[in-house]
Amino acid sequence: MSDVGMILQRVGATLVNDVAPKLEGDYAGGKAGMGGMLAVMAGEMWDKEADLLVGEITRLKALLSAAGIGEAEPRIESFKISDLKTMRNELASQLIELQASLEAKGDEASMALNRQIWGHLVATSAARMPSPPEFSGPDED
Amino acid sequence: MPDKVIDTPALAEKFAAYAEAHMPGVSNLRVIAMNRIHGGASRETFSVDIAYEDATGPKTKGLILRRDPPDSLIDTERRIEFAAIRSAYGKAGIPAPEALFLEIDEGPLGAPFFVMGRIEGGTPLNPFRIEDVEPHRADVGREFFRYLGAIASLDIEGTAISEEIDTPSPDQCWKRELDYWAGEIRSNTREPQPVAEAAIRYLSANPPPPAQKLSLVHGDFRTGNFLHDGEGHINAILDWEMAHIGDPYEDLAWATDLLWCGNDQERAAGFIPWPEAIGIWQEASGCKFDPAAFEWWSLFAHLKGLGIWTSSARAYADAKNDDPILAWSGWFTHAAHELMLASRLAPKHGVDL
Repeated sequence: MSDVGMILQRVGATLVNDVAPKLEGDYAGGKAGMGGMLAVMAGEMWDKEADLLVGEITRLKALLSAAGIGEAEPRIESFKISDLKTMRNELASQLIELQASLEAKGDEASMALNRQIWGHLVATSAARMPSPPEFSGPDED
Repeated sequence: MPDKVIDTPALAEKFAAYAEAHMPGVSNLRVIAMNRIHGGASRETFSVDIAYEDATGPKTKGLILRRDPPDSLIDTERRIEFAAIRSAYGKAGIPAPEALFLEIDEGPLGAPFFVMGRIEGGTPLNPFRIEDVEPHRADVGREFFRYLGAIASLDIEGTAISEEIDTPSPDQCWKRELDYWAGEIRSNTREPQPVAEAAIRYLSANPPPPAQKLSLVHGDFRTGNFLHDGEGHINAILDWEMAHIGDPYEDLAWATDLLWCGNDQERAAGFIPWPEAIGIWQEASGCKFDPAAFEWWSLFAHLKGLGIWTSSARAYADAKNDDPILAWSGWFTHAAHELMLASRLAPKHGVDL
C-alpha cells in the first residue's frame, strides 16, 4: 500500500483523536497532538506539492522572461520534489532581484510587470495555505 | 494522568537543592511535583510544587521553572524576560507572575533558567478556538485591551528592563524592529522569501510616525499567552520573552493580528468591536489612536510573524529542537502570515483582489 496521503492523514487523525487525549496534561500529549496535525498537513501536501511547484516554476519563468531573463518555457528534467524545489528556489531568488529593480525604476512598464508579480505572489501564497487545523476541545474528547 | 508526579527526578533533586539555597530561612525543601508543560517552545517550561518549612511552619508553593533549551522559537536572553516580568509585576493591576530566581550559570540545572511564582486557577485560550471563552468573550476582551494599554502606560524610567536593554529614540523604534526581524528572516530562511523581501522593502520605504511614547513592549501579547479564570477575567499574562522598550503600537498591532483573532475580523483580536477595543486601549495607555501608525505596525506584525516562524522552522530542520510545534509554526503560521502580507501589499501595487 503506497497511498501516502491517505496513510499520513489516518496516522495524523489517530494521534490527534486517540493518542493525544489519553496523554492530556502531559508534555507528550501536546507533542502527539501537534505531530498528528503535522501528519495530516503532510498528507494533504503530499498530493499537491508537485503540481504546486510545476505551476510556480511555469509562472516564474514567464515573469522573468517578460523582463528579458531566460526563456519563458520551463525545461523540467526531473519531477522529484527536491529537484523541483531547487529549480523553483533559483527562480524565486531571481524574482526577488527583478521585483526590487522594477520598484526602483517606477515607470509604467515596470509597474505593470510588478502587478503581475504581485498577482503571482498572492496566488502562490493562497495555494500553499494548508487547510485550517482542527483543534479538539475538552468537550469533544 | 496523575496530578502529582515528578517526571524528571534528577532535575527535581537539583532544583530542590538550588531553591533551598536561595530561599532565606527555608529548610527541608522538597519538590513534590514537577511536570513539563507543553507550549512553552521558547523555553523548557516546568510546573513545580515545592514543600518546605520556615519559621512559621510547613508551607507549599507552586512555581514555574523556565529553562533554556538547546534552541527555541525565540532566541532571547532570559535575563531580559526576567527583567520584563519584574518591571510589570504588581503595577497598574497587570497580572504578571512574580519573578523569583534568575540563574545564568549552566551549573545548577544544566542550562540557564529562571523561576516565577505560578498563578493558580487559570486556563489558556487557544487562538484558534476563541469561542471556548464564551459566554465571557466580551469581558475577557475588555480586560485584554485594558492590560495591553496598562503595559504601555508604565513609566519605564528606572525599571529593571531599562537597565538591561537600550531605549531607542521615538523615531527609530520601527527601524530597530524592522532591521532585527529582517535579519532573522534572512539568516534563518531555508528558501527564498519573495513576499517577506517585498514587505521589508515596502516597510522600509514607508516608515510610520515616530512613537507617541516609549513604553515597555510585551512583544508577544496575544490570545494564547494569557490565562483566564473561566468567569471573564484574565488572571495571568505570560511569555514575556520578546519584551523590549519601543512603540506601544507594536503590541497593539501584534495583539490584533489576524492570526490571533479566530477568523473573526469584525472584532478586535476576536473579542470585542474595534471601536470599543481601541477606546479601552487609548484610555489605559494614554496613547491616541493613529490609523497611519497602526497600518504600518499591523503590516509589520505579519512580517515579525514570518521572522519567528522562519526561525522556528530552521531550529526544527537543523534538529536543534524536536518540538513539533516548531515545524507546525514554520509551516502553517508562516503560510498564514505570508498570505496576509501578500493580500495586503498587492493592492498597494495596483492589484485588484
